[in-house]
Parts: sequence; structure tokens; C-alpha cells
Amino acid sequence: MPEDKIYEDLSLVRRRANTVFWVVAALTFLVLSYYWKVQILEHKKYSGLAEANRTRMRVLAAPRGLILDRNREILADNKASFKVSLIRENVKDADASFAAVSRLLGIDEQSLRSRVELFKDVQAFEPIVIEDGLSAVDVAPIESRRLEFPELVVESEPQRFYPKGTLASHVLGYLQERTPEEIRARPDQKIRAGEMVGRTGIERECDDILRGEDGSVFEVVDSLGRVRGEQARQFPVQGGEVVMTIDHRLQARAEEALEGREGVVVALDPRSGEILALASFPTFDPNRFITRFTPAEWLQLMNDPLSPLENRAIRGLYAPGSIFKLVMSMGGLGFGYVTEGTTAYCSGSTQIYGAVRHCWFAPGHGAMNLSDAIKNSCNIYFYQLGRRMGIDMIALAAGRMGLGRKTGIDLAGEKEGLVPSSEWKMEALKTPWYPGETISVAIGQGQLQVTPLQIAAMTALIAERGKRIRPHLFKAAAAEGGGGTEDDAGAAADARPLFKTQVFESVISGMWRSANDGGTGRGAHVADFDVCGKTGSTQIMSRESAERLSRAGREIKTHSWFTGFAPRTNPRIVVTVLVEYGGGGGATAAPVAGRIFELFKELEKK
Amino acid sequence: MMIDRRLVREIDWVLLGLVLLQSLIGVFFIYSSSHFLPGNFHVRQLAWIGVSLIVLVLVLAIDYKFFVSLSVYFYGLIVAVLAATLVFARFVAGTKSWITLGLMQLQPSELAKIVLILVFARLFAEYKSATLTTQYTLWALLIAGVPLLLIILQPDLGTAMTFLAIIGGAFILAGLKRKTIVLLLLAACVVGIAGWNLGLKDYQKRRVTTLINPTNDPRGSGYQVIQSKIAIGSGGLAGKGFMKGSQSQLRFLPARHTDFIFSVIGEEAGFLGVFVVIVLYFFLLARMFLSVAKARDRAGVYIIFTASLLIAFQFLVNVLMIIGLFPVVGITLPFLSYGGSSLLTSTIACGLVLNVKMRRFANV
Repeated sequence: MPEDKIYEDLSLVRRRANTVFWVVAALTFLVLSYYWKVQILEHKKYSGLAEANRTRMRVLAAPRGLILDRNREILADNKASFKVSLIRENVKDADASFAAVSRLLGIDEQSLRSRVELFKDVQAFEPIVIEDGLSAVDVAPIESRRLEFPELVVESEPQRFYPKGTLASHVLGYLQERTPEEIRARPDQKIRAGEMVGRTGIERECDDILRGEDGSVFEVVDSLGRVRGEQARQFPVQGGEVVMTIDHRLQARAEEALEGREGVVVALDPRSGEILALASFPTFDPNRFITRFTPAEWLQLMNDPLSPLENRAIRGLYAPGSIFKLVMSMGGLGFGYVTEGTTAYCSGSTQIYGAVRHCWFAPGHGAMNLSDAIKNSCNIYFYQLGRRMGIDMIALAAGRMGLGRKTGIDLAGEKEGLVPSSEWKMEALKTPWYPGETISVAIGQGQLQVTPLQIAAMTALIAERGKRIRPHLFKAAAAEGGGGTEDDAGAAADARPLFKTQVFESVISGMWRSANDGGTGRGAHVADFDVCGKTGSTQIMSRESAERLSRAGREIKTHSWFTGFAPRTNPRIVVTVLVEYGGGGGATAAPVAGRIFELFKELEKK
Repeated sequence: MMIDRRLVREIDWVLLGLVLLQSLIGVFFIYSSSHFLPGNFHVRQLAWIGVSLIVLVLVLAIDYKFFVSLSVYFYGLIVAVLAATLVFARFVAGTKSWITLGLMQLQPSELAKIVLILVFARLFAEYKSATLTTQYTLWALLIAGVPLLLIILQPDLGTAMTFLAIIGGAFILAGLKRKTIVLLLLAACVVGIAGWNLGLKDYQKRRVTTLINPTNDPRGSGYQVIQSKIAIGSGGLAGKGFMKGSQSQLRFLPARHTDFIFSVIGEEAGFLGVFVVIVLYFFLLARMFLSVAKARDRAGVYIIFTASLLIAFQFLVNVLMIIGLFPVVGITLPFLSYGGSSLLTSTIACGLVLNVKMRRFANV
């Protein structure tokens, strides 16, 4: 160019500048092609990531189904409650977050930490419930500070509520959160952290029915986790109703009648096996399990020497004491060892197998037939009968009466108890049976162990003159699953011939006299209701030490039993009472049963 | 003072038009990415465009040779201001790199780039040898080193890197001997290793390491890159639509209206939007770089080249950074990102190019 002549020569620097520009141009082209790769070739991948970024699935917990008593009175309900969860993914600074959150919610920082630590294996975006059972007022300060706490999520969800508190708690059972182990063990299942599951009682047996189906909602959230909208919603389906055989009034009366003593009251309909009341004391409030326990509370409950969580009606093992005399009577008559007219003489004590054995009534009952012996619960009569029958015939009779095996109630954890026999002893203890042991078994002591429910079922068998029933708690919805043990079918369908009707009538006559003719069971008497029953008092220590104690003037407390049914013809209710350390069966347990009979009669009239 | 009519005719209106177009595109996406925030960033950016245009008129009105002759004073002033802000920052937290001028805030480190362009133009104006001598190299390093050190101390790594780019560009233009290149690279290595171990803060180191593996630290510095890449990739060919990008609207994208404005464009306008902006950039840079042919003197060549390189470097680093090919160093996208200082600096840089270009005839 001509003008270059009058200016200095800049061609070199211009060339260099142009070269740099073409390098920049080449880089620009490379940038554009990389954007092409990301935006066009990898579009799908990033689209998915963006979608996952902005949507979050939240589970809408299904309300559990209601549990109703036989009159459709609600025993387990739901109420709205708020819970606060922590999403670890959103925690920026763990230490600061723990401190701030614990201050905000007013919970101990250490327990908060250990709670989150517990769930360290679950996905970081899974909310971990750290506080629940809150009211709308409780969560207001959290809601108003959402910006500061992106890691917290407040959700409202239906919460189990037991309007009657401790009533029938052992029947209803309690709920607990799924443990991390359970969630980990079944990753394919629709189990979420924080889900409540029935652990005992009906809540457990009918969990499948009661649980319902969780819904879900896909929410659009921003980077702070704030919900900006909703994409799709599937509403939760409430769990099915479960109607129980329990009558809440009888249940309440049963619990009240125990008056705070450890023990059991079982009432059932002998015709169908429907359990009308099942009380076990001490009890617990299942509502307490809904909001989580502090570790201290849980330890206290678990280590309580009176084990309030244990359902004594199906898991408590007791010697039947004089209640067993019913089995002896059935066997004695049924197998022909005695007749109604066979008498024995009670002088207060007798010598059997070289040892002096006493009757509970020191002066002696005098000459007695079977009916008298049942009425007065005379030991001497049954010592004699036991000696005649021998242990294996006693065991056979007990087996026919349903002892030594599960009743088949539709609750898990039922115990079998124990009916000793020579065969059993050889097998279990590797020693032969000594005839002297038979004498203890004859009056319901020794190794004999029964549950109160077995006694109730046995009483129903007597009341029904040999018709065997399976005690159960589900009135409706039971057909769909829920409960029962594998051998309940066997128990119910047991068609072995039991005893002749006349045998039952004879025993029942003794039971009637016990309650109505000044016998040991007179405490259970209800006017015009023909209660038939039998009392029992079981020694909890060896007879020797008991006698030593009594010589020392110390009071010996025995477990106190009563079992009976009413009315004598067409019986409609069986009541079995056990009061631990209650003293004599006649004095303690029989009046408790009397109050149940009384209420039942009243309710029937209405 | 009045501007000669002939000079006005010589203004490169195409270049100016490209600058304005890019700035307006920027305003749209600033609005899209910040309309849900208080602060009316788009209105403020428009005001800054106005301010920049006024300053541009002043820059064009005065002959660049006059700026070059005054560059020593500018240099002294900017070093003083940088030092003052640094000292001031020790007393008032958070004001480290800002000077408040009434409603507007300026970053002196941004303006320091312009000063460096002018000082280098003056330094190399009389330098006619084909390659750089050691003496000149040391002079240039010393002159650039003082403000650079003050900027590093702020610390503003992005601006410091831009400085290095300008220095490197000037050296290339002056002609580097192989020996010098080796020495400079060695020096860079030594300074780099020393800086890594002594100077860099942990978060800055993490930015470099997350470049290699962003999923290493998905909640920390890798987060920005991951979210930005998701935004760009999910934009696809045509984008999700203006103000409809989930990544930007739901705030998954960090620094949406400033450093990461191009991610918003990628998400909402797709590859087509990216293509348009990059092609516009290509024309703008071509127009700027190739103006060296119109410079009448060596100072003019240096001004055009370093000013163009300033824009080119920031553009490339920004678009590479937001897609994960360069550490996140806090370099804005010239003209498009929100921010007065950045816009003003870029406009002045263009103004200087226009200035040199319109005064290409020696007798004016």
C-alpha cells in the first residue's frame, strides 16, 4: 500500500497480530463444536439431569385403617400431625447445622446427631425424621425460617392416635418406625424411612390391611428445595378397617377391676371364641410409641421388672393351681377312675407315698363326692384321684382339655405352656418320673404351666360341653389374612371325641355350687345369672419354704385364679382372671370376675 | 471540544453496532435470570450501557496519542487506588475491590486493564526491533507486575489472569525469542508452584482440582460447573424458551446474571442462541483484531491488539469455564454479563480500537 511508505513499517507486528487472531478464531470454533457436543449429542443426558434436579418425589403417607371394637367404637384412629425431617444432602456445614437445628427444635444435639448417624447408609436425599407429633403452632417458627434451613422439611401426615389411651393396648399392639436394617433388607419394597409398622397385637397381625397405600406427589423444587409447583399427584389410600371382637365396655371394666394389680382378665364368648375383653396389667400407652421415645424412656420401658409390654394373657406362664382340678375331674370321670358318687374323706391331711400332704382347709372337709370336692376345692380328694390316675392319664386329660398347646389365637407370640408326663421328663430331664411328683400335679402345681388364655379356652370347652373353639380377636377383615398361627386350624378342627356330656354336666354342677352354694367361687356370684366357676391359688415357692414362712408368721402371697362361665345353660360368657400375688383365688380373683359377669348381664339386658 | 466531521465518518459503526447488540442480548438474559430477585438488574445494566456510551464518546473525542502520553499518570493513579482499596479493605470488610461513586460501584482492577493497555502502548511505541530484549522484558514485567501484585493480593484471580494475557500478548507482538519463551515458562512454573503452595486459598485450589473431576465435590465448587453444564446440555438445539429454563429460573445455576450468563443463554436459547452469540463474537473480534491493518503507528497497533486480546481472552475463558473446560476463576463474559465495571472496561477497550482506527490518517 502506498500509505505505508510515509508511515513506519508495521507489517511484522500486524502479521503477528493476525496470527493471534486466527488462533483465537480456531479456539472459538473449537468452543462452538464442544457446545454442539454438550447441547446436541449429550442433550438427553443433561435433560434428564435437569429434570431430576427440579423434581422431587414426596411420599404422601396413607392413614392407617381404623381399628374398631365389636360395637364399632373407635379404638385406633388417626390425627393430623406435623413432622420435621432432615435431608442430609442439603446440609452445608454439618456442625453448624446440627447446632442450629437442635436449637431451633429444642432437642438435644447429641441425640439429633445419633439419630442422623443411624440413617447414614440411606440415600442422602432421603428425609430423616428428626421430630414428629408436632402441632401447627410448633412448626410455625421452622416454616418461617425455611431459607436458613434448606435441610429441613416440614410435612403434615396422619398419625396414629389411640383415643382410649391404654385401653386394650396389648390387643391393639403398638407401632414403631421401620429400622434402617429393615429398609436396607428390602430395597425393592415400597418401604420408606420413618414409616410406622405394627410391632405387636392387631397392628402387627393386620398390618397388611391397616397399612393402606401411600400416595406420592412429584414436586417442582428450586435449588433451595423450596416447592415451586406440582407435577403429578397420586392420593394415598387409607388402610382397611379392622373390626375386633372386643367390647370396649367389658374391656374397660376388666382393666378397672384389676385395680392396678399385675394380672390378666380374659372374657370370651364360648360359642364362637370371640374374645370380648383381654386385659393384661401393667399396661402401656401405645400413643407413646408414635412420637419417638427418648432412648432413656425406651430403656426404662424395656427394663421395667414388671414388663408392661408383655401380654400376660398369651405369654404369661403360671401354675394353674386348683383350676387344674377341673382337668382332674374331667379325666377322673371320663376315664372311669371315679363316678359322681365316689367319695373320699378329708381330715385336713393325708399321707401319700410316705409324705404328709395337707388340704388348704386344715380342719378338713369330711366325706366328699366329686361335686363337693370341686365346690370346696378339696386337695385331699384330688390327691387320691391323682394317685389313681397316674401322671400319664393326667397328661392325656390335660391335653384333651387343650393344655400344653397353643389355643391358636390370632396374635403372635402365644406360648404353649407345659403339661408334664413321664415321657416328657425322660426326654427333657433324663430322669424317670417319681410317683410323688404326680401328687403336686394333681392339684395344679409342679411343672405344670398354663397361660390364662388356655384356661379361658378350656373353660369355654367345659361350658360348651365339649365343643372346641379357637379364641380370636378379629370380627371382620380377618378373612383377608391377618393373624392366626399355623396350628390354629389343627386346634379348631380337632375332632377327637372328648368326654361324654354327662361328664361335663357333673363338673359343671360342682362349678355352679362353687359360685352359688357357698363354695370358694362365691365371690363371682351374680344374682340370677347362674355363674359356674372354679378358683385357684398357686404356690409360687416350694411347699417347705412356704410352711417355714407361715410358721414365722409371714404372709405368703399366692397367684390368685378364677375361671368360670355364665349362665349354666346356654353359656354366653367365659371369664378367666389371674391376679399375680393376689392371695386366695376366692378372695381376690373371683370378685374381679364377678364384676365382669355383672356388666355383661347388664349389657345383655339393654 | 468538537469532533471533526471526517473523524465521525471514519468511526467503525459495524463494530459499535456489534457491541451494542451483544449488550442488549445481555440485558434480555440478565432479565430472564434475575427478574425474581430484588434489584432490577436489567434496568441497572441499561443505565450502565448508557454510561458506557457516554464514556465511549469521551474516549473517541480525544486522540489516543493523548491518552498514551498521559498513561504514566493514569498508571500512578490506578496503582495508588489499588493500594488504597487494599489498605482500606483491612478496615472495612467486603469493600475490598470496590470504589463507590454515588450509586455506582467501580472495580479499580477492571480499569487497571485499560491503564495497562495504554502504558504498554507507550512502552512499545518506540520499540522497533524484531524481537524482545531482556531489558525490555524486565521493564514490561516490572510495570505490569506492580498493579498485578496488588490485584493478586485482593485477591482477584480472574483479573490477574487477564493481566497475564495482556502481558503475554504484548510480548508476542514484540517478538519473543525462543530463549525468552523458555525462561518465561520456567519462571511461570516456579511462580505457579510457589503460588499453589503459598498463595492460593483452599477454595481456589479446589476450583482447579474440580476441573479435573467435578463430581469430586458436587456440593462445593464442582456444583457450579455441574449445574452450569446441566443447564447448557439440557437446552438442546432450540432451548427451553425465554424465562423458561428450569436451571436458571429455579436457581440451580450459580451467578446466573453475572459470570454464568452464557449458561442461561445455552439453556433458554439452546445451541442456536449459543451459535448466534458466538458468531457475533467472532465478527466482533475479527473486526477488532483485523483493525491493526488500519493503525497508523506502533502505539496504535499495540492498543488495538491488546484491547482485542483482552476481550477475546475473557470471552474464551468464560465460555470454557462455564462448560467445565477451565477452572472457575470469576471472569465475566464481556458485554453480556451483568456488571458496570466489566461493561465499562470492555466498552472503553472497544472505544480505544475505534479511536485508533478513525485516526488512521497522520495529518489529522
